[in-house]
Amino acid sequence: MDDSTNKITTGDEETANQQEMLLPIANVSRIMKQILPQNAKISKEAKETMQECASEFISFVTGEASEKCKKERRKTVNGDDVCWAMGTLGFDDYAPPLKRYLDRYREVEGDRSATPQRNEEEGRPSSSLAQFDPTLKPF
Amino acid sequence: MRQAKTAYSGFLSGGGIPRRHDPHLLPLARIKKIMKKSSVDVKMISREAPLVFSKACELFIEELTKRSWNMTIQGKRRTVHKEDVAHAVATTDVFDFLIDLVHPNTSHHVDLNEDLEKKQ
Repeated sequence: MDDSTNKITTGDEETANQQEMLLPIANVSRIMKQILPQNAKISKEAKETMQECASEFISFVTGEASEKCKKERRKTVNGDDVCWAMGTLGFDDYAPPLKRYLDRYREVEGDRSATPQRNEEEGRPSSSLAQFDPTLKPF
Repeated sequence: MRQAKTAYSGFLSGGGIPRRHDPHLLPLARIKKIMKKSSVDVKMISREAPLVFSKACELFIEELTKRSWNMTIQGKRRTVHKEDVAHAVATTDVFDFLIDLVHPNTSHHVDLNEDLEKKQ
């Protein structure tokens, strides 16, 4: 953006790069609309701000989760780590619906459990979430 | 907690759960990219982690949106503006990590500790 002569290409590239780091505005908008009354409107700027906030949320929580993994000498950030990090950072309210969601997902995946997961470090199932309680997770 | 009233009831309803990911959820590949970018320490990400985030982001967006809307109606308006989001962030402790993002006095940062020091 500081090189005005190449404004078209670098501007587009930058925009493309930025967009990669945001959740799609259509998805974000839809979630916002679902929670608001029908007569509510949302400015484009507010939607864009929400996109940025969501990305920041992901980064924030991931940072905490990956630090935990680092301390425990694990290479893979898993679902439990993410849930733990959220609890640590004050998003305890999210825990029950997340747990239900993840339990349901695991139920489905359990039927296909013969297939080892990619990126799983040791291939062990993440069953510890069954006793999900972020406050009790050891550091 | 509000029940799933949209079509993304695949996982929650329990019936006919699709193997493929429900299209109404947030894109997992994008989430994974954002996770990877967040820290050099992030090496590998399990398949579940972006999935947890897809639901968590939804909850997060819902919460921030609801709080922003409260600001909107306080101002006797019907359109949520960026300022409403900023106001909601400023008045919610758990959203402190967003303060610099919505009130950019300084550049974006990832270091929370640095941010806290600036505020002292």
